[in-house]
Amino acid sequence: MITFERFNLDNGLRVLFHKEPTTPMAVVNVLYDVGARDEDPQQTGFAHLFEHLMFGGSVHIPDFDAPLQAAGGQSNAFTSNDITNYYDVLPAQNLDTALWLESDRMLSLAFTPKSLEVQRQVVIEEFKQRYLNQPYGDAWLHLRPLAYQKHPYRWATIGKNIKHIQDATMSDVRDFFKKHYHPGNAILCIVGNFELATIKEKVNFYFSDIPSQPKSARKLSPEPPQKKFRIKTIQRKVPASSFYYAFQMGKRLDQDYYLSDLLSDHMGNEKTGILFTELQRKKKLVSEITAYITGSIDNGLFVISGKINPKRSLSELDAVLWPLLDQYKSKKMSQSALRELILKLQTAKAFQDQGLLSRAMNLSFFELLGSAELINQESARFENIQTKDLQTYAQQLLDKNRCSLLQIQAQ
Amino acid sequence: MTQKAIDRHIAPALHPIEHISFVAPNAQLLANGATLFCLSGLQNDTSKIELHFAAGSTTNDPLTASLCAGLLINGSHQKTAKQIQKALDAVGAYYDVSLTQETAVVTLYALKNQLYNAYLIFHENLFGAIFPAKEVKDLVHSRRQKFLVQEQKVSFIAQRYFQRCLLAGTAYAKQIQLSDFDHADRAAIQAFHAQHYLCGLKKVYLVGDLQEATIKAFANLLEQYQSKLPQSAVFEWQPEQGATHIEQDGALQSAVRIGRPLFNKTHPDFCSFSVLNTVLGDYFGSRLMSNIREDKGYTYGIGSHIVESKQFGYLVIGTEVGVQTREATFREIQYEFERLKTELIPEEELNLVKSYLMGQLLKSADGPYAMLDLFANVETVGLDLSYYDRYISEVKAVDAKKLRELAQRYLIWEEMLLISAG
Repeated sequence: MITFERFNLDNGLRVLFHKEPTTPMAVVNVLYDVGARDEDPQQTGFAHLFEHLMFGGSVHIPDFDAPLQAAGGQSNAFTSNDITNYYDVLPAQNLDTALWLESDRMLSLAFTPKSLEVQRQVVIEEFKQRYLNQPYGDAWLHLRPLAYQKHPYRWATIGKNIKHIQDATMSDVRDFFKKHYHPGNAILCIVGNFELATIKEKVNFYFSDIPSQPKSARKLSPEPPQKKFRIKTIQRKVPASSFYYAFQMGKRLDQDYYLSDLLSDHMGNEKTGILFTELQRKKKLVSEITAYITGSIDNGLFVISGKINPKRSLSELDAVLWPLLDQYKSKKMSQSALRELILKLQTAKAFQDQGLLSRAMNLSFFELLGSAELINQESARFENIQTKDLQTYAQQLLDKNRCSLLQIQAQ
Repeated sequence: MTQKAIDRHIAPALHPIEHISFVAPNAQLLANGATLFCLSGLQNDTSKIELHFAAGSTTNDPLTASLCAGLLINGSHQKTAKQIQKALDAVGAYYDVSLTQETAVVTLYALKNQLYNAYLIFHENLFGAIFPAKEVKDLVHSRRQKFLVQEQKVSFIAQRYFQRCLLAGTAYAKQIQLSDFDHADRAAIQAFHAQHYLCGLKKVYLVGDLQEATIKAFANLLEQYQSKLPQSAVFEWQPEQGATHIEQDGALQSAVRIGRPLFNKTHPDFCSFSVLNTVLGDYFGSRLMSNIREDKGYTYGIGSHIVESKQFGYLVIGTEVGVQTREATFREIQYEFERLKTELIPEEELNLVKSYLMGQLLKSADGPYAMLDLFANVETVGLDLSYYDRYISEVKAVDAKKLRELAQRYLIWEEMLLISAG
């Protein structure tokens, strides 16, 4: 159970406070409700490029990191297809420093041409390092537009291609800030050994004069239900052929998410999962194989991926995989197997909740989804699942017509 | 509510860290000579046990050590790999085995009311491990396939070459080669297990809000191991220097590794050098990050680190840069060395780094899990927690002149090993 307090400022900023009496540190987490899904298809990679610019100095403070470091703290951020999340971890007595910095960059950035030029280059090097300069690094750049044809999840956070980053102008950047970076589009979460009254006073002091702005309506094209199997094969000089079977699943808060999470854990377990025991161990078709979900806010993907063994082929695997998946549709999982999966998830969650930062991020994320209270209902949502629910769901999920397959074939 | 007007140009006052409490774990010498360290005081239901074995990659040939670690819990006289995994699943436990050059660390995570049950399963199967031929064959194959993928990455190529040259002449330079996978030997793995695991328990860390009786039961089980530790290999360092580039056709980026032999925490210069290293490249505002990322945009990231081992330490600077800016990157790194050797670090920058280091230390001591890691960092090199008090006073005391002197002594470009791949 994670307890928290919530209050809102008049300018629309939503604030969460979670008291942790045992720590000498403080966490300040600021989630902005903007991700790659909010980008113009002609200007992809913008939310992420923008995350870099948020460290390039704000309207009254030339450098974001130096004052935080001088306060004994550090900061970082990440961008996903759904959100952009910034965080600062620092000694509790210097909480003001983080609030001062975060509020100034919420107010406005410095927008120096130098910062744009440099971060553009940094992001291009990041693109090369993470996606282009290693085998299979670009798989998701191909898989996304195959699995999504309408929804903006069809591009990755880094962008469709480097050109969109190269072409970004200062005026594009200013427009993006104006549209997405304002109190009504943000959730602030503070964790540490403080009193609520102190937090209210400090947050008011630093954030309440930031002008409010209407939240722009999000009009994303929904991804239509897939009706036909899709396949894309890339020929490439790689050490082994690889495959990505991606099935359409539901949204983060749908029952689908919880069912998919359990199914992927069951299927993909490294020693006991059916993918490992049948395809890797028994049939020797693959050298590695796993199953996982993307867990995005809008409709996500359930993915089975791995690499083919030398002298075996992608088509051999395909022929065996489908009948194997059918077992989930025709047979119920045992009651004990389901209990074990849930216990493992709960253990993992207990370890994850150890971290202050993880608590701050999760509270903010659930607040975005509707209410931070949801964080304490996750466990029950898993516990309510019955074995017959999993079977019924598998029949719907693991339908070949709802699958997109990317293959990278070794030459 | 009355609102004070805010002047955003004025930074809030900073409050220095007055005190950091370092909590030593409770140490108990077991009958076999290994030590059991327990840290309680955890205010939640999680717990873990960490077993440290003298079974690191340099204790024998690196592939045997690696395979043995990978196969530890993969079939015993009593159970198959699948049955063991199912038993661990039933108590919601996770484990991992990590390998350093000197030690294999087996960590088991579970809720506190299940940790002992989970360990019992683990214990029985570690002692009864039979390394089934089929499991060995499968793991060798899958590791070989992963190795082929790794070999395509410029960071992997540069890092391996760097370590081989820097640690030349010592057991630490031994690395797995592709051809080794053709000669993997089950009998060697079994012998390694008997000698380095069953007889090689060095120490155990236990964290969680556990009952006295549970800790006692753990101690009884742990005494079934023997603790006949091998002598550390004689360390005769013959490091290489100079530049090598490994060309990779079609690479978009080059991986760079630059470094030299240094020392670990036991050396009198260590604390002060850590400050110098932080200024150079060990935080986001460092000289290397400011110049090569934030000014030139050559890279997504660059860092400088002191890598420590029980017997030695070395400095390594690592980055991945566009191939066309590789030479310019070398020049800029050399330029930053020269600045540190000739100019005094400005007071503001030095104070910032000192405050930053104190904040990071405070964070590293926050909570039993973090505290245990902090303790392990000193215990491994033969020191105790008083090291951190010394560290705090030396970091506070060191001045720009002393740091320039250290730069002149250690940041000598001609003594560096310079490796790039891509």
